[in-house]
Amino acid sequence: MVSPHGIQFAAHLISSFYGELCSKVCECLLRRGTLTLAQIIQSTELSRENVINCLRVLIHQNCVQAFAVQREGAFGEAPRIVTQYMALFNNIIHKLRAPKFMQIVSEELGKDGLMQHGRLSLKRIIDRNEQTAGSSDIHVVRESFIRLLNARFIERCPAPEPFLAPPAEDEAPAKRRGAKSAKIAEPKTTEQRALAAAAPMESMRFLMEMDDLPEKNDDESSDSVTHRKKRKQDVLKSDEDVLDANDKKEVLWRVNFEELVRRLRTKACISYVKTKINDEAGIVLSAILDLSGRPESRQKAEKTAYLSINAIYDEVIKKEGGLGMDFERIRVSLNQLGCETLSTGLDESYSIGTHLSSFSYFNAVVESVVLRRYGREAYRVFRLLSKAGRFLETDKISDSTFVEKKDAIKILYKLWKDDYLHMEKVVSSGARQSLFLVWRVNKQTLWEQVLDEMYHAALNLRLRIAHEQDRGKEVLQLPREKLVGELEKKYKLLGKVRVILESSLMNLDEAIMLFHDF
Amino acid sequence: MSRSLVSPSSLKRKRPETQLPGLVDAEHAILNLIKSKRDLGIWTREIKLETKLADNVVTKSVKSLLAKGLIKEVVNIQNKAKKTYMAVEFEPSKEISGGEWYNNGELDKQLIDALKLVCFRYMRMQKVATLEGVHNEIKKNGVVTFDISSQQIGEILNSMVLDNDIIEVKSTGLGDYYSIPIGKTCYRVAGGAGVAKGPRMGAFATIPCGACPRISLCTSDGVISQSTCVYYTKWLGIDF
Repeated sequence: MVSPHGIQFAAHLISSFYGELCSKVCECLLRRGTLTLAQIIQSTELSRENVINCLRVLIHQNCVQAFAVQREGAFGEAPRIVTQYMALFNNIIHKLRAPKFMQIVSEELGKDGLMQHGRLSLKRIIDRNEQTAGSSDIHVVRESFIRLLNARFIERCPAPEPFLAPPAEDEAPAKRRGAKSAKIAEPKTTEQRALAAAAPMESMRFLMEMDDLPEKNDDESSDSVTHRKKRKQDVLKSDEDVLDANDKKEVLWRVNFEELVRRLRTKACISYVKTKINDEAGIVLSAILDLSGRPESRQKAEKTAYLSINAIYDEVIKKEGGLGMDFERIRVSLNQLGCETLSTGLDESYSIGTHLSSFSYFNAVVESVVLRRYGREAYRVFRLLSKAGRFLETDKISDSTFVEKKDAIKILYKLWKDDYLHMEKVVSSGARQSLFLVWRVNKQTLWEQVLDEMYHAALNLRLRIAHEQDRGKEVLQLPREKLVGELEKKYKLLGKVRVILESSLMNLDEAIMLFHDF
Repeated sequence: MSRSLVSPSSLKRKRPETQLPGLVDAEHAILNLIKSKRDLGIWTREIKLETKLADNVVTKSVKSLLAKGLIKEVVNIQNKAKKTYMAVEFEPSKEISGGEWYNNGELDKQLIDALKLVCFRYMRMQKVATLEGVHNEIKKNGVVTFDISSQQIGEILNSMVLDNDIIEVKSTGLGDYYSIPIGKTCYRVAGGAGVAKGPRMGAFATIPCGACPRISLCTSDGVISQSTCVYYTKWLGIDF
């Protein structure tokens, strides 16, 4: 479930990009979960036509995924196939990051137009290039497309409407085989199954087959992107109006957010290590992550493979600032990074946890909030509980943190009231019964709480930007010549305000992206 | 043989054997009671309950014992309003006094800060320091007038770790750690970022919402909102 402010923020983003109606549909799905078309219409009180149009836009922009399920008929009716829609929260939030993503891509490969357009077939990409660049050199476009594909910045779109077999059929045989041989540890939700079913096979995801390349003289009319020929679905009865029956031959491509997020995360990791430890540690980490490459499957690799010290050294000296490093200094950095070592005879190899939690990023963010909001003593108290990872009694907390006992109680109570801590009452049995209060940080609930606050803050920043623009619109609309004296001052101030707000939003968004992945 | 009830006034007139001369029975009973509580002490109301003596008798006796230097008053950290008494030969337990870091029921912040400063300076010079090293430095430095234990220094260092002024590490035997056995716990001054500095890590804390105590009450169209927020106005430096 998405947090309350997460939903508000997502709805706000959709509204800014695609309008109020789309925002209403999207918000409905985020709040109420996966719904059918009929349910969405009922819930939003919009017309069927409006809802259908919105869904088409949202699907095209990768914000909604459709899938088909079998519903048992009522009162002896035959089972029906129903199409359901689910909102893709992460992809919606990625909309905010489009400029950053485009920057990464253009840094590596030059300009690209795929980002803005949701999903496109190769033919459409070529057509667009013709329209914008004026040249129709199919080979240039194809080459840059392949470069994007090899760098994994783009991927095949998921299936528009995968069919989920009823779970009852799957469960029975599993039960017969016995619980031990059940493959899945936790039962997947419907949404997880839908996404898994929609996703292209890993081997196909970044593969462009030769016959994907369209002929130069194609008889397909150059329609606009959102309009396709309707084709009857023989097998599945689905929402035909929403899901334009995709030409089975036409492969659609979209931005691969996973890769972009991975790159941003790596960058941020290295930058964080540079600030927390030193530049050398940052260089060594960068070398390790380069050597490790990207995880092969969709699963995030928890740890890199073991790398030999020689391989690390060879990579380090290639880096800027790394040439002067020797084995000794590399070993020191590896130790500071918390690498695990494996020494067998003459071999010496190291592995590192790739997850940001290894670098206590989560803790750093939350602790900085506690410090600013509740003060230095609260900061010590919070860090103590965070490190302890278990319940501690009030007196113990006050002793270890050098906080007066009466102040400690006040701080603990405030943190507890704001959902940063858990508290329990313990009655000690024995000759003298006394009531003790014990406190603990629960990482899961804390993470949810802080992430929700970050969405709230991001929403506030965006709304404030709009508010300031609105307040200053008279000044902003004046022609340059009239901006003198007081008006010029106001104009400059508006500019300064906008820069502060927008740069804060960008930084906060990056923090959200990293924090969310914890 | 049943004992007859003796009235309190008759107790006063009797002079049975006492260990200390010049003490009336009431004082003697109260002194014994206080001594029996050793380093925990006892407060007035409890004395009255346990001895079953009249209020004024207890008050007078306690005053007399204080004057004679046989008992003393100590501050009870658990409840400063309770007047707690203890025999002079005992020192208040940690429960009552709050521990070595408490002075008259208050945390001795001056002492703690002074010690922290000495530790920090030493570590900055040494780059890496062990608990023993810091302890020796403190003893040599003479910043404390009492015999400070290694454990107490450890408490100070742990508090500095919580403040993120220093970090706790394990020696690798290499580089700066060459003189320290491998695996031994030691301390070094925290690197550039004491507390999450830099735009990314402090991104949330550096905007008004991150530090706002009212964030749970803030709504986009409420009394407290991003448009009306005074923290924002101050942060942006605007007032028009």
